[in-house]
Amino acid sequence: MEQDQLVTFEIIGSIGILTLDAPPGNYLPVPAFIPPELFSEWTADETLKGLIIHGSGRNFSAGADLAAMLNPAIRPELSKPLLRQGHQLLSSIEDLDMPVIAAINGVCFGGGLEIALACHIRIASEKSLFAFPEINRNLIPGLGGTFRLPALTTRAHAITTILGGDIINAHDAYSMGIVDQVTPSDSFKFALELMEKITRDKPVKVIRYAMRALNNAGKINPEKAALIESEMFCELASDEVARRKITGEHL
Amino acid sequence: MKVAWEINQGVGELILSAPPSNSLTLSFFHQFGEVIREAEKSKQLKAMIIRGKGRHFSSGADLNELLPAIKNDILLTHYQDFNTLSRSNIPIIASISGVCLGAAFELALCCHFRICTPDAVFGMPETTFNLIPAIGGIEKLLKIAGKANAMKLLLGGNTFSADDALSLGVVDKIVSKGEINTFVHNLAVSIPTPYHAWAKRFYLNKFIRQYHLND
Repeated sequence: MEQDQLVTFEIIGSIGILTLDAPPGNYLPVPAFIPPELFSEWTADETLKGLIIHGSGRNFSAGADLAAMLNPAIRPELSKPLLRQGHQLLSSIEDLDMPVIAAINGVCFGGGLEIALACHIRIASEKSLFAFPEINRNLIPGLGGTFRLPALTTRAHAITTILGGDIINAHDAYSMGIVDQVTPSDSFKFALELMEKITRDKPVKVIRYAMRALNNAGKINPEKAALIESEMFCELASDEVARRKITGEHL
Repeated sequence: MKVAWEINQGVGELILSAPPSNSLTLSFFHQFGEVIREAEKSKQLKAMIIRGKGRHFSSGADLNELLPAIKNDILLTHYQDFNTLSRSNIPIIASISGVCLGAAFELALCCHFRICTPDAVFGMPETTFNLIPAIGGIEKLLKIAGKANAMKLLLGGNTFSADDALSLGVVDKIVSKGEINTFVHNLAVSIPTPYHAWAKRFYLNKFIRQYHLND
């Protein structure tokens, strides 16, 4: 068992639940907060229909353990490969071919916010709080916050958030587009409900193909995206024709 | 299904004609492609309006016919035709009443403007049929509504109302049944050629201001 393994994983129904489990702060000890091999292993499960990421206890995550990071004992050059690993992990989350929902309660700062931004949907409880405090230590968000935030909100908001370093409440985060839904109480319950609503009764293959098409759109070359989408459609169509022959269904 | 196509004083009307559902058959896609190619070459065409005959826009593709027959190259041709529409340099306006689902919703998304009546119902139900939208709808919806909403609509497959469509940005304006034909026609005529997508808001807002002043 790895010391400092922050994240635990379990499956409820066909939904994977990833818990940042070092309460109360759920600080990220390293940028690749899940060992990449573990993440691959967990998400390789072919029965999984979706992933929910949340924090144990009152908070999502207060971000990187900045004190440890600024420790003079750790030479700065060593952190580049670590950061790259962290970036890759977040890209893997973003590109995952199943819905990923961040269920946010309490504090969601810095690296924690960057994890949430890599997820596909962010559901936050009314009392949750958001911030990029890095600027207050003369740092910048180092795990994709500087490009994921402007993609969701206006550039003006992105600049004031990152340069200002101020704490934003859930309702403001919602108006800015950082959060997709604000819930009156524990966001996890709502995240689970939403996840079930969009994945229940759907074969895993359909979910995977739909998410692949959605992830490709606007990200890869449009002609290539269209080709992949067509192939997936034709495959699903012939699966469906075969299925209907067996069940005798007609539209 | 017949695709009725007529040009009157520079405004082309493409009418999906197989009421009440105006199901999109293989024949529709074929005729549609021909109309698009003809429209591309036309010098007198200034704008295009797409609507359904009767109460509904269209309930979407006729899956019984389509599923056994669909092949990659056919599908890609459909994709190209829809794409040609969205890149057109004349304004393309979808005039939507009743249901607009699945492939018909993708068709509407490929248009530059979407104007609907209060009773309009939209949806991307493909995943509930174990399929995915494959003629450009996902990409267009993503651009308009953002990833979270696109995901909910795509995976959830639920229908949504004209009001929801307006809040999502999927529809540009809701106009009453009695006024929509005039509104859409006048909008079409008000937009200069060549049409620039970046000026969409400008054209629409300017038209709405003028339209309501002359009311």
